[in-house]
Amino acid sequence: MRIAFTAKGVDWDSMIDERFGRTQYILMFDEENEEFEVVDNSSVGEVAHGAGPQTAKKLFDLSPDVIITGNGPGGNANAVLQQKNIKIFVGAGNMTIKQAYDAYKNNTLTFM
Amino acid sequence: MKEIVVISGKGGTGKTSLTASFAQLGGDKVIAADCDVDAADMHLLLQPDFGNSEDFYSGIKAEIEHDICSQCGKCFNVCRFNAISLVKDKYSVIQLNCEGCGYCARVCPKNAIMIVEQNVGKLYVSTTKDNNLMVHARLAIGAENSGKLVAKVKNTAKKLADIHNKDYVLVDGSPGVGCPVVSSLSGADFVLLVTEPTVSGFHDLKRVYKLVRNFNIKAGCIINKYDLNHKITHEIEEYMKDEKISYIAKLPYDEAFTEAMTRAQTIVEYSENDLKKILIQSWDKIQNLVKT
Repeated sequence: MRIAFTAKGVDWDSMIDERFGRTQYILMFDEENEEFEVVDNSSVGEVAHGAGPQTAKKLFDLSPDVIITGNGPGGNANAVLQQKNIKIFVGAGNMTIKQAYDAYKNNTLTFM
Repeated sequence: MKEIVVISGKGGTGKTSLTASFAQLGGDKVIAADCDVDAADMHLLLQPDFGNSEDFYSGIKAEIEHDICSQCGKCFNVCRFNAISLVKDKYSVIQLNCEGCGYCARVCPKNAIMIVEQNVGKLYVSTTKDNNLMVHARLAIGAENSGKLVAKVKNTAKKLADIHNKDYVLVDGSPGVGCPVVSSLSGADFVLLVTEPTVSGFHDLKRVYKLVRNFNIKAGCIINKYDLNHKITHEIEEYMKDEKISYIAKLPYDEAFTEAMTRAQTIVEYSENDLKKILIQSWDKIQNLVKT
């Protein structure tokens, strides 16, 4: 499984970014080889409008199996991601990446 | 720290009057954030000192370097917003019309058109008349609110809440269902919907709640001026049950809203009657809902 986190930092102890569209980073964790890939998303934070769809487009291209975030994505972003059958889990707003990953493994996050 | 966002869909339901009242009831546990930047007015009630300000940049617009321009007119021909003017053989960008699409810069054979980030106003971190913190913004003439500006106001308030150990960031959200509202909702812990029993009030409530549902955020609802139309009030109550929106309170039509506003006071400051009691109970209810 390849899991994407919206994140405020670049390691396990960083906080989840509760914002979807304007998330600072996207962290891609590959469970198979346990490797992290860091995608800097700060440029999307600079756009005035339509941050959600732009981040969704990035994630569409990265094509993870699962996305873990705070409480997004909104309608337009969701419409993009639904084209690819990516599973979205929310409710990780106040967690670190590690905590969010454990919560996902324990099935305590909300499936959208 | 929890973030509570107040939205209404329709304007004129009493959203800001209630938000300012709750900000006052919450006292030093709360940082107020006005994200209704297009028509910001919470400052009229909470009277912040506009203490610390910073310039805010959002969106892009075209500018023509006249020294380089060869007056070919290609930009004039492609602009879909009639934002290029031709006066005395000189092409210029009409700033109010420019949407920042950049088409003109793309077709310019001389590269004479720059895409420039716009200073659209100021962001303030203020102290209110009650000595509490408030984050708000003021837009320049002709500038519009954006998801970016809302995010900036909210993130500034959240950072301050962490530093000063506050319990709540209370956000006066933007109207409608567009980009600024999406940005208001992003990252929120609880949504307070303020509605009124009119056809448009109920319609806009349903529309904005659809968005809230997308975000999977807990919601509660206050029906303001409920006695204006008992039938629609009943329909709203049924809708709330169906959608599992928590019922917070019903407020009667009361001219205290207007009276308080004209005195630049919140309702809880102005009124010592039942209205104040209901609002105190409502704020308690909201706090309990946010906790769970």
